[in-house]
Amino acid sequence: MLTIYKNKKDIPSDKEYVELNDLYFNMNTSSLLDERAKSIIEAIDRSEQISKFKIRSRFNGDVLNIDKLSSGCKTVLNVLYNPEKVFCLKECGENALDVLFGFEKGAVYSDYPIIPFDFEKVAVFSDGEIKEIDDYEELKEWWSNAD
Amino acid sequence: MQTKPVVMEKFHIVHTSFVVDLSFTNNITILMGYSGVGKTAVFSFIQECMSIDKRILCINFIDYQKNIGEILKQTSGKLIVIDDADVLLDSDARKHISLDEKNQYLIIGRNPADLFATKDNLFELVSTSVEEHTVFTIKPYL
Repeated sequence: MLTIYKNKKDIPSDKEYVELNDLYFNMNTSSLLDERAKSIIEAIDRSEQISKFKIRSRFNGDVLNIDKLSSGCKTVLNVLYNPEKVFCLKECGENALDVLFGFEKGAVYSDYPIIPFDFEKVAVFSDGEIKEIDDYEELKEWWSNAD
Repeated sequence: MQTKPVVMEKFHIVHTSFVVDLSFTNNITILMGYSGVGKTAVFSFIQECMSIDKRILCINFIDYQKNIGEILKQTSGKLIVIDDADVLLDSDARKHISLDEKNQYLIIGRNPADLFATKDNLFELVSTSVEEHTVFTIKPYL
């Protein structure tokens, strides 16, 4: 399940933290995309992936480079294809969060709560301890409390 | 906090098949909402206008290494458009924005912390197809 960090100091030293999701996607993740990306791009950006580096715009059908995906969609794809790294969560809209919080692995960071209304279970990590949370209010409380 | 827009109440630009038609009712407009609705596309269209309209300053993740707070303090008389704001703006920059009477702001992000924002500051993007054009406007988020 997705792992959430709320303090940068809790991110293990062997895990890279990525703050600029747009840039990381353009430089790294875009070259890793496979069939799994298609449904995520469709679900979040309502765009069709027509080849590895091309999408069809939801607005006017124009064929665009994949760098035109939203920051939220890029964040979700970064997490999917790089589960060993920790990505900044702050640019995800509700629709991106809905997809992200259902992942079986991957990790994100935010110093303030960013929670979708519906999620099953996430792992939270602070002060060297990891625990699982499956309740919105409990997750909000954990995230809001300063350690 | 300054409430009325100090630089412009309307912004209009055409970019090929896209039309951006924004009406500002507050000096700080925070553009929120779902991912993938066109916020960054609108930013790029406004950014294009920097070449012909001195009143516009655009900031995004390309400026990550710069001292954003200092840039804001040294700027006057501009509509400052900030994409990736949730990553770029620290608490000090946000407090400066909330009290800045010399500039107007369009902030693309979802975190209104330290901006002393009310629901009057919160907006979302609306896109409408009009014949062969896609028209972007904003409406209150709440």
